[in-house]
Amino acid sequence: MAPPLPPAAPDKTSDHAMSRRSFLRGSAAVSGLAALAASLSPLRELQDFTSTEEFLQKYYKELTPEEMKRVLARIEREVERQYGIRPHVRDLRPMDGVEFVYCLNLTRCIGCRKCVHACVAENNPSRNPEIQYIRVLRLPHGSLDLEKAEHRYAAEQVPEKGYFYMPVQCQQCENPPCVKVCPVNATWQEKDGITVIDYDWCIGCRYCEAACPYWARRFNFAQPTIPRERLNPEMAYLGNRPRPKGVMEKCHFCVQRTRAGRYPACLEVCPVGARKFGNILDPNSEVSHILREKRVFIQLKEEMGTSPRFFYYFDK
Amino acid sequence: MDTPSPIPPTPDPFPRRTGYVLAGLSLGFAGLLALFAADPGLWGRPPARPAVPPVDVKFLDTAPWRRSYADLVAAKEDLSDFDCYACHEKNKPPPIRYDANHRIILPKEHSNFSMAHGSHDRNNQCYNCHNESNLVTLQARDGRELKFDNSVPLCGSCHGPTYRDWEGGAHGRTSGHWDAKSGPSRRLVCVNCHDPHQPRIPGRAAAPGPRSLREETPPAVPVPPTSTR
Ligand code: HEC
Ligand code: HEC
Ligand code: HEC
Ligand code: HEC
Repeated sequence: MAPPLPPAAPDKTSDHAMSRRSFLRGSAAVSGLAALAASLSPLRELQDFTSTEEFLQKYYKELTPEEMKRVLARIEREVERQYGIRPHVRDLRPMDGVEFVYCLNLTRCIGCRKCVHACVAENNPSRNPEIQYIRVLRLPHGSLDLEKAEHRYAAEQVPEKGYFYMPVQCQQCENPPCVKVCPVNATWQEKDGITVIDYDWCIGCRYCEAACPYWARRFNFAQPTIPRERLNPEMAYLGNRPRPKGVMEKCHFCVQRTRAGRYPACLEVCPVGARKFGNILDPNSEVSHILREKRVFIQLKEEMGTSPRFFYYFDK
Repeated sequence: MDTPSPIPPTPDPFPRRTGYVLAGLSLGFAGLLALFAADPGLWGRPPARPAVPPVDVKFLDTAPWRRSYADLVAAKEDLSDFDCYACHEKNKPPPIRYDANHRIILPKEHSNFSMAHGSHDRNNQCYNCHNESNLVTLQARDGRELKFDNSVPLCGSCHGPTYRDWEGGAHGRTSGHWDAKSGPSRRLVCVNCHDPHQPRIPGRAAAPGPRSLREETPPAVPVPPTSTR
C-alpha cells in the first residue's frame, strides 16, 4: 500500500501577516525587556538607597534647628546601620570673631607624611579607593617650581639631602574659585573662612575640582570604604561624617575639632611643630605672632588672586 | 486637491525568511537575558581593587619623640639617671675629661647618651648646663639655678631668638585647644623634641605615600640629581 499522503499543509495565507507581526512584537518586547534590565543593572550595585528623608531634605542654610536635629538623627541612624557604631554628629557653626589661618613652616617640615595619615584617621575618607586631603610635595632645595615636585617619594629616611617638603591641602581661599563654579551652591565659604561642602546637596559634577588650582578637592568615584575600627565617631555635618559615592570632599580645617576650639589633627601629629593654626582676628594668637614676626611668606599661586588663608613661611 | 486614493493592497512585505530571522533573534535575546539573569557577573563589574592595608598606628601617634624629666615624673618612670648623688659625691663635682681632639670622654655609666651639641661639638661642656655645685639642678647662663623640670629657660639663655619664637608659638608645638575658652592647651618644651646632649633632630622613616587606583604599590621614584641652583 502506498503510504498515506501527508495531510495537505494548512493554508496559512490568511494569518501569515499576523504571525509575522506577532513575531515582531514578541522580539521587540523581549529585546526591550533585555535592554531595560541591562539599563537597570547598575541598581544591583546600589547598596544604600537615598532615603526619602534625605531626598526631601531642604538646603542646609534653610533648615530650622528642629529640622537640623532630625537630619543629624537620620545621619546617626544611617552610620550606625552601616558601621554598627553610634556616632555623635553635630552641626557646628562658625564662632563669632574668629577667622582661621594656617601657617606652615617650610624650614621645619621633614616630609614624614604623618599629617596625611592623621588627617585620614580623623576625617573618615574612603580607604579603598584611597582618598587623602594632604599631599606632601618634595622639591629640590632652592626651587619653588611645582613642576619639579614629586609627591610619591619613597625614601628610607626623611628628610633627604637636597630637598625640602611642602604639604599641600585646601588653602581655604578668601576668593575661592571652587565656590563660584558650583551650580547648586553645595559648597560655600563660611564666616570663619572655611569653605565647606554639604555632601547631601552635592550633585557630583566635579566643576569645583576642575576650578581648584591646588588640586585640593577629591571625588568619591566609588562607594567609600572605611574599616569599622578606624571610623572616627566624633562627627560634624559639614565635616567628617561619612560621604556617599559620587560627591566631592576636601580639607575643611577639621571643623568638628576647630569649631570646638581644638587644633586640627594634622597639627597635633606634626613631630617637628611645622604646622600652626589659629584665629587671625586675635592679636595674641600664634598665627598673628607669626604673620607679624616672620619675613618670608608664600601663598601658593598667589598670582591667581585666590588669596589663600594658608601661609607657608621660612624661619630665616 | 485630489482625494486620497485608497491604499492599494500591498504585496506581502515580509517574506517568510524574515520571520525566522526575527524569531531567531528574539530567541537569542531571550537566551542572553536568561544567561545574564543567571550570572549577574556577566553585566560587568568594576575591576577588583587591590587591598589597601590600614596604615601602621605608629604614624598616628601624637606623642612627642622624647619624654622630658617632667613627663617621666608624671608617668612615674624610673628616674635613677637623674639621681646624680647616688654615684657622685657632694661637693666633689666630677672632672670632665677630653681626648686629644677635644672630644669629651664619657664613662660607661653615661653611655645612654653621647655629646653632640652644636656643630663641632661647640657646647660639650657639661657645666654649661648642669650646676657644678649642685648636680641635681641645672644652671642657666645668667646664673639662675633651675630644677630639671624647668629646662626651657636654660635653653633660652643661649638660644634667645629661638626661645622668643617658641614663646610666640612660631617654634615648637602647642597641642590641645587653640581657643583658651574652650579648653586647656600644652606647649611642648624644648627637650620634648631635642635631646639636650645631641639636639639635632634625627631622621626617620616616612609614612607610606599615596597609592594610585591601579597599582598595588607606588613605584620607587628614582632620585634625581640634586639641584645645583
Ligand atoms: C649610675 C651612676 C651615675 C649617675 C646616676 C650619674 N653619674 Fe655622672 N658619672 C658617673 C661615673 C662613674 C662617672 C665617671 C667617673 C667620675 O668622673 O666620677 C661620671 C661622670 C660624670 C661627669 C664627668 C663627665 C666626664 O667627662 O667624664 C659629669 C659632668 C657627670 N657625671 C654628671 C652627672 C649628673 C649631672 C648626673 C645626674 C643628672 C649624673 N652624673 C648621674 C656615674 C653616674
Ligand atoms: C651654653 C649655651 C647653650 C645652652 C644652655 C644650650 N645650647 Fe643649644 N647650642 C649652643 C651652641 C653654641 C650651639 C651651636 C650653634 C652653632 O653651631 O651655630 C647650639 C646648637 C643647638 C641646636 C642646633 C643643632 C646643633 O646641634 O647644631 C639645637 C637644636 C640646640 N642647640 C638646642 C638646645 C636645647 C634644646 C637646649 C636646652 C636643653 C640648648 N640648646 C641649650 C649653645 C647652648
Ligand atoms: C645643653 C645643656 C646640657 C649640657 C651641655 C649637658 N646636659 Fe645633661 N642634661 C641637660 C638637661 C636639660 C637635662 C634634663 C633633660 C630632661 O628633662 O630630659 C640633662 C640630663 C642629664 C642627665 C640625666 C638624664 C640622662 O639623660 O641620663 C645626665 C646623667 C646628664 N644630663 C649628664 C650630662 C653630662 C655628663 C654632660 C656632659 C658630658 C651633660 N649632661 C651636658 C642639659 C645638658
Ligand atoms: C615640636 C618640636 C620642637 C620643640 C618643642 C622645640 N624645637 Fe627646636 N627645633 C625643632 C626642629 C624640628 C628643628 C630643626 C632642627 C633640625 O633639623 O635638626 C629645630 C631647630 C632648633 C634649633 C636650631 C636652629 C634652627 O632654627 O634651625 C635650635 C637652636 C632650637 N631648635 C632650639 C629650641 C629651643 C631653645 C626650644 C625650646 C624653647 C625648642 N627648640 C623647642 C623642633 C622643636
